[in-house]
Amino acid sequence: MSFYTVVAVFLTVALASVIFWVFAPKENQTVWRSTVILTLAMMYLMWAFTYLAQLHPLVAPRRSDLRPEFAE
Amino acid sequence: MSEKYEAMFRSAEMSLVQLYVPQEIARDTVYSLGNRGLVQFRDLNRKVRAFQRTFVPEVRRLDELQRQYRYFYSLLCKYDIKLYEDFEDEEDEEAIAASPAASAHKLAPRTSKIDDHVENGTLIEKRMQQLVEASEQLELQKSDLEQFRHVLKAGDEFFAQSAGLTSQDSRDETFPRSVSFVTGTIPRAKAGTLEQILWRVLRGNLFFRTVPINEPLYDAKAQKKIYKDAFIVFSYGDIILQRVKKVAESLDASLYEISDDQSNRSKQLLEVNSRLADVYTVLDTTNTTLETELLAVSKELHAWNTEIAREKAVYETLNLFDFDSNRKTLVGEGWVPQDELGGLQLQLANLTETLGVDVPSIVQVLETNRTPPTFHRTNKFTAAFQNICDCYGTATYREVNPGLPTIVTFPFMFAVMFGDMGHGMLMSMVAGLLVFNEKALGKMKRDEIFDMAFSGRYILLLMGLFSIYTGFLYNDMFSKSLTLFKSGWEWPSHWHVNEAIEAKSVGTYVFGLDWAWHGTENALLFSNSYKMKLSVLLGFIHMTYSYMFSLVNYVYFQRWIDIIGNFIPGLLFMQGIFGYLTVCIIYKWTIDWVAIEKPAPGLLNTLINMFLSPGTVEEELYPHQAKVQVCLLIMALICVPCLLLIKPLHFKFTQDRHQHIALPDNEAGLVQHETNTGAEAVEDDDDEEEGGHGEEFGDVMIHQVIHTIEFCLNTVSHTASYLRLWALSLAHAQLSTVLWTMTIQIAFSMRGFVGVVMTVILFGMWFVLTCVILVLMEGTSAMLHSLRLHWVESMSKFFEGEGYPYEPFKFIPVEFEDEL
Repeated sequence: MSFYTVVAVFLTVALASVIFWVFAPKENQTVWRSTVILTLAMMYLMWAFTYLAQLHPLVAPRRSDLRPEFAE
Repeated sequence: MSEKYEAMFRSAEMSLVQLYVPQEIARDTVYSLGNRGLVQFRDLNRKVRAFQRTFVPEVRRLDELQRQYRYFYSLLCKYDIKLYEDFEDEEDEEAIAASPAASAHKLAPRTSKIDDHVENGTLIEKRMQQLVEASEQLELQKSDLEQFRHVLKAGDEFFAQSAGLTSQDSRDETFPRSVSFVTGTIPRAKAGTLEQILWRVLRGNLFFRTVPINEPLYDAKAQKKIYKDAFIVFSYGDIILQRVKKVAESLDASLYEISDDQSNRSKQLLEVNSRLADVYTVLDTTNTTLETELLAVSKELHAWNTEIAREKAVYETLNLFDFDSNRKTLVGEGWVPQDELGGLQLQLANLTETLGVDVPSIVQVLETNRTPPTFHRTNKFTAAFQNICDCYGTATYREVNPGLPTIVTFPFMFAVMFGDMGHGMLMSMVAGLLVFNEKALGKMKRDEIFDMAFSGRYILLLMGLFSIYTGFLYNDMFSKSLTLFKSGWEWPSHWHVNEAIEAKSVGTYVFGLDWAWHGTENALLFSNSYKMKLSVLLGFIHMTYSYMFSLVNYVYFQRWIDIIGNFIPGLLFMQGIFGYLTVCIIYKWTIDWVAIEKPAPGLLNTLINMFLSPGTVEEELYPHQAKVQVCLLIMALICVPCLLLIKPLHFKFTQDRHQHIALPDNEAGLVQHETNTGAEAVEDDDDEEEGGHGEEFGDVMIHQVIHTIEFCLNTVSHTASYLRLWALSLAHAQLSTVLWTMTIQIAFSMRGFVGVVMTVILFGMWFVLTCVILVLMEGTSAMLHSLRLHWVESMSKFFEGEGYPYEPFKFIPVEFEDEL
């Protein structure tokens, strides 16, 4: 689990996009291509940023309302 | 048929065509074109006044007929008869629009049929008017007699009362001879006024009584039923009585003479009753006849009106046509999508064949330097998204259509602000309902709000689906977290009650936000930092993506100077400042600051210090940071004069050459007009200036100065504007947390029967408020913010929007407007 996960997922998404570009339905091709690939890209970006933000955290969750029983 | 260009990324290529149509089949030709909706006709008679055009008499005649139809419709409304409309027609028309062969077969109605309509219209109108008049007359008579009857009945009361009065006062048994009276009815609101006026006029020498009539009566003046009072006035003398009558009449009272004798009055009553019975019968028959006629009309009226509206549209279009020199052929000019030309020719050929005319219609493509209209081919899915962009402005001909990326970016930006799985599911379910039942709902009559939701159903659907995804990443479902994957945090093995404990990092949560953060004391600290950076990153990427479209446009239109003078300096400026910031954000995330035991530098300060004290870096993010930042700063600063000067200077140096080229260009354009059309004088009027023939150096300079200032300021302000993504998603998450704790959570602390009841009640409250406030209200607000991000932040990067929409001549379904 590291930065390379992000890169690996990127490559996967890029590959999926290329595959879709080639095999997009013939009818309304532009709309299909743009919509699906853009969706993939946006979803990837959002995931990647969330993942990266937690990769090397600078703050840790802190709370004082947990009951000791929770430890077991 | 040739394959159609999709026309979504850029608008369809259009050609200007000239149609030569023999006069005898002109009407049929235009009618069949109207069925298809292909040609946007240009007005060739711009100089001819509206009432001097060729087909004005026809249009007038049809106008008159439409007025008659509107009159019938108002009568239908008045008598509460429903208009009979059939929807099967519309499906037919869709099929026709799809194939040129079929539309040729649906011919225009014969002219004799239209003549019949006109004759019928006048005939029916006359008859209706007579019937309505008769009915109104009878209605008046009826109300007159009814009022008389009421006065007669009230008379009994008057005399009984006054008899009682007189006997109590022990005066004469009857009134003196000279005392006489006036009786009648008066609108209830005016009864008091009448009494006051009479009191003053007669100086109190009168006896005034009113009796309210319980049923509303038709009043001729008010044209509706109103409440009235019967009144009686006793006074002395004929002259005074005349005066009383005048006063009463001026106050819209109707006067009726009744006898003061009981037996006479009953005789009068009998007579009135018998007359009323007669009026009732006649009125009934009249109304039945009228309603029968109206019923017959209601069955046909819609079809008639549609036919006439089409006929009128045809003649109005023909008014745009021009005659050729020997007045045998009509010449029309219009825009047609280039890939539909074949279809158009085929259709016209079919039509000539069906009609059996030996002179064919001719379609001729013209070369022109006029700007064609913008036409994006949309379907039921893309139409709503295209509409979002068209609301802002119609794209310039052949420029990149912002509607295409909007299909994804609009709902996604919305979802970043609205991220919650539960709310997203609610929204997608509603949208799904609309989408699955779209055929049934499409035929239904919809009110304004519902129509808005219906036409935007695919936007709603995508918004809902993306919200589920972003909610999944935010790990929010109705403000609760899901514990799907193994958490990356581990709490200590034991602790005391109320001891503050901190978790230890043991890994990274795979998908979305770690649920360990849920409910912690510093959850907001983390989620704010995350969402803020997320919005800056997404915003920057969105803007860069949009900015790239401007490059695509410049390359397509071959405006190389714009690439050098606008695109490249702008790109470097933007990337040098905010591109650098995004790289820094991502770089900082990838470094394990705890492991290398260095303090993590604050990025905000880094960026600020990059401008305030270039060359010095307090906390280093990476080696040689100071040098890199100085280089970037210098690059950005150099870009500003480049942006400002390159384009105007280029214009200045090429201006002379430009003018030399412009002249023959212009001439060629003129020659073309002369050869192609008969009305060159008209043509020159609406010729648009193209290629900036009339532009001066000063104009270009001022334009570029404004552009430069705007661009540099916008780079900063637009990036900041994307922080709304963070602000709204924070507000949404907090609001749903608050709603949860203030409603349904209260129920969980109760036990027993009360707990059960409260859970049900509070769940209801929570659910209703979730739908109304969180989904509907917050959803609307997030949608508006997303709309703004597209119109301002994204579209300003490349969109020119100087086109005009393609509106082909097509029959539209007509409906009567409710005037009432």
